[in-house]
Amino acid sequence: MTRDLLHQDEIRALVREAYRAVDGESRAVAERLYSPEELALVPASAVGRALGVGNHLRHARIRPGDTVLDLGCGAGIDTILAAHRTGPSGRVLALDFLPEMLERTAAAAQEAGLDNVETLEGEMEAIPLPDASVDCVLSNGVINLSPRKARALAECARVLRPGGELCVADVTVEDEELPPEVLTHPAAWAG
Amino acid sequence: MAGALTERDFVGKLERAGFWEIEVLERTPMGIADCELYPLFTEELLATMRRLIAPERLERIAVCAVIRATRS
Repeated sequence: MTRDLLHQDEIRALVREAYRAVDGESRAVAERLYSPEELALVPASAVGRALGVGNHLRHARIRPGDTVLDLGCGAGIDTILAAHRTGPSGRVLALDFLPEMLERTAAAAQEAGLDNVETLEGEMEAIPLPDASVDCVLSNGVINLSPRKARALAECARVLRPGGELCVADVTVEDEELPPEVLTHPAAWAG
Repeated sequence: MAGALTERDFVGKLERAGFWEIEVLERTPMGIADCELYPLFTEELLATMRRLIAPERLERIAVCAVIRATRS
């Protein structure tokens, strides 16, 4: 029951504030997750603000021409890598709930010379896209931030075309609960 | 991390959302040293984790799972 210690609105506010306030260099995160060849494709501004938890792109079956949704794009590292793979005939829709993150992603795409990236402001529990409109949904360290995960995953299913794929990297825990002091710490909901 | 599901719960929610062919393709342990790389983990939170989480578990506080699933 410790996971019910905070209300949904409290969680949402904590996550939003933590990501808005994040002000640290995290290039070491990117170097832990991505190959030098991958990082060479991404502007330093995005590499230095990586906050993902895995490299799901190794397993994402993105084809040239695909429409890809990057759910919770952050500073844009996965968006940029996906946009290289869709090529100019495809596009990547970069969704985030913070305008600051969308500005970073748009700037990184421009710096990378990519014109197949579009930014979208919105919540993962109410994705502002039509039904069956994307081929692939990517998400990296984002689903765990949602206080309504079933709803967020249902939204992913809704916007995917039948046969489309979700490829997600996310934090999971084993059956043993973390201490309540950690579970209720504001930073633990964003970190 | 406080909102993380177990892998079993994550897969169950994917199934209920209408996904199939759900594959867990990677599992990478995340320890306290990995958490220290992220500016989202404050010094206060890291200190709390070091104090309250059993030493043998600090190397594996969570697991990063890479999961791929197909929309039915």
